[in-house]
This record gives sequence, structure tokens and C-alpha cells, in this order.
Amino acid sequence: MRHMLSAAMLAVSLGLAGQAMAQDDDQTLKVGMSGGYFPFTFVEQDTLKGFEVDVMNAVAERLGVEVEYITANFSGLFGMLESGRIDTIANQITITDERQKKYAFTQPYVYDGAQVVVKRGNEGIEGVEDLRGKTVAVNLGSNYEQLLRELPYSDEIDIRTYESNIEQDTALGRVDAFVMDRVSASQVIKEKPLPLALAGKPFSDIRNALPFRDDQAGRELRDRVDRALAELKEDGTLSEISQEWFGSDITQP
Amino acid sequence: MNALDVDYMLGLMPILLGYLPLTLQMAAAGMVLALILACLMAVVRVLAIPGLNAFTLLFISFFRGTPLLVQLFLFYYGLPQLLSVLTQINGITATIMGLTLHFSAYMAESIRAAIVGVDRSQTDAALSIGMTRGQTMRRIVLPQATRVAVPTLMNYFIDMIKATSLAFTLGVTELMGATQKEAAGSFLYFEAFISVALIYWGVVELLAWLQRRLETRLNRAYQR
Repeated sequence: MRHMLSAAMLAVSLGLAGQAMAQDDDQTLKVGMSGGYFPFTFVEQDTLKGFEVDVMNAVAERLGVEVEYITANFSGLFGMLESGRIDTIANQITITDERQKKYAFTQPYVYDGAQVVVKRGNEGIEGVEDLRGKTVAVNLGSNYEQLLRELPYSDEIDIRTYESNIEQDTALGRVDAFVMDRVSASQVIKEKPLPLALAGKPFSDIRNALPFRDDQAGRELRDRVDRALAELKEDGTLSEISQEWFGSDITQP
Repeated sequence: MNALDVDYMLGLMPILLGYLPLTLQMAAAGMVLALILACLMAVVRVLAIPGLNAFTLLFISFFRGTPLLVQLFLFYYGLPQLLSVLTQINGITATIMGLTLHFSAYMAESIRAAIVGVDRSQTDAALSIGMTRGQTMRRIVLPQATRVAVPTLMNYFIDMIKATSLAFTLGVTELMGATQKEAAGSFLYFEAFISVALIYWGVVELLAWLQRRLETRLNRAYQR
């Protein structure tokens, strides 16, 4: 028993040492993402994939640096950014006023809209104006909760925040609808075996970008990544990646 | 609802099992450290060592009185904002630290209960033949208390294994984090979570079996 435990502790500390070394490398762009946002960032057969992964790989290649992906629950990502454990978050982070006060954003690389999604066959909700008196799910830490709260009739909406699985709970009928960006909502409906449908048109413009810490080093890195993004837009790499995942170009306004 | 996708589950199981070692390592490291800390605190409490006793009480009160997730967030995201050196602590270390502090608070109390549960006359007898307080504790009281404490400590270890599932919030892809990400890729939530539940369950059953063997061994002296 004692040997087993000390072996386990040794293994853990070796693992720690390995990780510490990776962190000391300046030539590595450390990108945080949830790994739980199809088709932007998700895992299949133990491999991290998605639109965000392809974009960040292209950015890193352009900058001539290595990229390291760190996955964590969405609610932990901004904490990791603040505490310097990652350089940026590639998880469809929407530019908002509050976030702009706190972080240095690159230019938008995805243009989208907020979309209401319901269980298939739910005719009662045909858009955001029908959410009065309904229960609506949003992801914790996402800006859709904020968008809903800004509606004039927001106090009539029962907003539920979730760590994950809002699609599943809507399909189960536990909530009447969920709000997500139009692009990934369409993708979920198309690709996954859940009985869901889009309800009406998108109700708010969304611009997504990469946030960096708003200090000297953060802003410098932001500028380099921003230039890389501009070049990737210019030479068509971004729209190529977008076509691959969505069959349309979501990287242009 | 579609039928259960068994093929998907069979494909997923080996992937998830690959993350089991990390889960077990974090729990094992947490358990060893928590045991050491808990024993120290229990002895401090039983002997009512001045000063240390008050500190121990405060420690137990805080770590038993706040959720583990809150403590993990505090250590991993909160403290580095005050002290930037603490950024060096990675998710795995922070999880082990959190598990250690949190569970040692509970375990200290159950170890204390086991020590206090050893009949007073045992201590009197040991002292009467000239053993010091420390010797009495080490040679007479603790061996007997161990036998009493094992079932509850095992309970905490089992709980600790499952508590490692919070580590994904700190960016550690352990068993639960891996499952969440795979479920996000396939949208086969039921299959993914059933698979991970079976893995946790299997591990805990194995531990329960080990516990029964350990208890039989510790009970040898009491068998006729």
C-alpha cells in the first residue's frame, strides 16, 4: 500500500514538473477554451477539434510560435486569463462594453447573432418577443444572459444559467428555449440527434474576438495576433476555415 | 429519444479510462497529505495544545464550512490576484491542495473521535507503567484508534475520488472533464455520462473490496 501511494505521488510530481516546464516557454501561445462548444471547440476520440482550433493553429503558424491548448470549464477561463495562466481565450468570446473595459481585444474574426432555440414542434415561441413568461437557458458566463436582461420585458423571463448541457435540457423540455449564437445553434441542429429548431431571426449583432490581458505584455501580444488575423483574413485562410466548418463565411460582417 | 448507442460507449470507455490514472493520482496524493495533516490536527485537539488548538479549530471551521469548489476557486483564481507568485501553482497542484485542506478538516474530526473512543483506562494503564504521553499515544491509543477510524476514512477517500471531478474548472482534464468534452463533440450525453458513472462506480467498488480486506486484517487481534 505504502509503495503504491509513494509511486502515485512520484508520478504526480513528475507530471507537475513537466507542466511547469511547458509554462516557462515564451515561444508558446497558450490558448484557453472550453472544449465543450460544438463546432467551435469540442473533442472527438480524445482529439481537440473545431473552428477555433483551426483558426488558432493558423494564427500560431503565421506568428511562428507553438500553440498550447488548455481546456477548462467555461466559467474558469477568464480566471485563468486574469491569473496569467493562459494568454487568450478562443471560445467565441463576444465583445461587450464591460469586457472591453477590462481586456484588450483583437479585431472580430466572427460575425454572428443571438438566436433563440426551442424544442422541435414548439410553435408557441417564434422569436425573442415570445419569451415573456418562459424559462430560458443560457450558459454561465456567456453574454446571452446579459442580452436577455437588457430586453424591456426581461423581468418576465425566467433565465436559468447552466454550466453546460443547455441543448440537452431544452430537448428534454425542462426549459422552453435556450439562447446561443446562430451559427453554432444551426450547426447543433444539423449535426446532432437532438429535436431542436431555430425560433425566428437572430435578435442581436454579435462580434467575437480574442481577449488579452490589458497590460503592456498583453497588448503587445494582442497586436501581433491582431496582425496575424488581418493577414489571414486578407489571404482567405479564415474564410476557408469557415467554409469547411459551416459551409458559409462567418468571418465577414 | 434514440436508443442507447452502445457502440459509441464501447469506443468511449478506453478513452475515458486513459484519464483515470490522473483522477486516482490526485485523489491518492490528496489522501496521503490529508491523512498526515488530519492526524496532526486530531492530536492537537485531543491534547488541547494551547494556541495550536485554537488555530486548528479555526482551520476546521473554515474548511468544513465552505464548499470545496469555493476553496478551489479561491486558491486558483483568487489568491494569485493578491500574490502573483501563486500563479506558478498549476491546476493539478491546486486540486491536490484543495482536496488536502478540505478533507483533512473532516478527517481530523473523525480521527479525533476514534482517539477519544479508546477507553480512558488504556491511557491510565499506560501512564501508570511509566510511558510518557507521547508514547502512550503512539503505542497504545493510535493503533486502536486506527481500527475504528478506517471505515470513515475510507468513506472520505471515496468522496475525494469523486471530488476530483471539480478539477476541470481549474483546467485539469481529468475523468469528468474528458467526459464533458467528448459529450460536447457527440451530443450523446446519456451515453457519455453513463460511461463515466460506471467507471467511478467500478473504482469505488474495488476500493470497498480492499477496505473489507483491510478491516479483516485490522480485526485479527480481536478475533477468537
